[in-house]
Amino acid sequence: MEHVAVTREALERDIAQLIIDTLNLEHLTATDIPVDQPLFGDGLGLDSVDALELALALQKNYAVRIESDVKDARRHFATIASLAAFVGTQRAACAD
Amino acid sequence: MMEFRIEQWRAWAPGLDSPQAWTTWAQSPVAVPDRLEQPECLSLPAMQRRRLSRLARMTMEVASPLCSNEEQLPFVFGSRHGETTRTFALLGDVTDEQPLSPTQFGLSVHNAIAGQWSILRGQRGESVAIAGEADTFEHALLESAMLLEAGASSVLTVIAEETPPSAYAGWIVDVPFSYALALRLGRVDTSGPQSTDACWQLRLDRHDGGSAHCAWPHALDFLRASQTGEKSLEHVWKTRRWNWQRTR
Repeated sequence: MEHVAVTREALERDIAQLIIDTLNLEHLTATDIPVDQPLFGDGLGLDSVDALELALALQKNYAVRIESDVKDARRHFATIASLAAFVGTQRAACAD
Repeated sequence: MMEFRIEQWRAWAPGLDSPQAWTTWAQSPVAVPDRLEQPECLSLPAMQRRRLSRLARMTMEVASPLCSNEEQLPFVFGSRHGETTRTFALLGDVTDEQPLSPTQFGLSVHNAIAGQWSILRGQRGESVAIAGEADTFEHALLESAMLLEAGASSVLTVIAEETPPSAYAGWIVDVPFSYALALRLGRVDTSGPQSTDACWQLRLDRHDGGSAHCAWPHALDFLRASQTGEKSLEHVWKTRRWNWQRTR
């Protein structure tokens, strides 16, 4: 169990760094973004162009498929924690 | 014939970031070294600053002090070459068969900087983005003159060029260094009796002779002339001869 937790934390940190690098958030570091803070709107303040940019970066870096279902994407893209869970699930599915 | 009053101006280039520095530059103009420095634009919130290219930062830097938060000014953006850094990077992605960044793609159009100015400063008036030839400066001023003629009390005009990626070196030869010049232009007839603002007339004549090009980009040459008290200057490009006369 501990191994899984560490992996998830590492993945969350990687995704936070990916968000910072991809979206030019040069004023932040990975630990500045709480994993359960909303990424869009009132939270971190990302917008729809960022969502497209981030989807592209996730596909490039983790080879995950982002479903075109808007509702699902919205849920996956809510926070760093939800993105990490999504990437984790996709990776597990690929590994099977 | 067009007439302008220079209400205010600002310019930026690497190492030249104050009116005093430009006055000194105007006395003996040199090509300053361009080491990709860019204005920090620290007055803008970081979340807004992050999408600004170097060319956009240069534009914001010179335009911002010339427009107060309480006013709406028509905006004219002139750049012959535009976002060459962005477009070159996108072309590289196309060549490498990589997906294009939506941000880079969206902001590579010529009026993107005018759009960012509008968003960042809440400017809801008209804006124009122009790309011309070596006399893009004069064409931008022509556009500004028309806005003044149409009733605008003042017009904010920015000319900005960035040193392009080295791949363009053989083709783009009129950007000795990155620069941006902002002019806040007014009508000559609305100037008060006490005004000491410089006034210029601009006239376009047909040019039939040879082509002796100006040593500096026209915007910088205009700045040089205005800082050294010259009364007239001429900028020739192809069949166009732009005649500048200072009237005050």
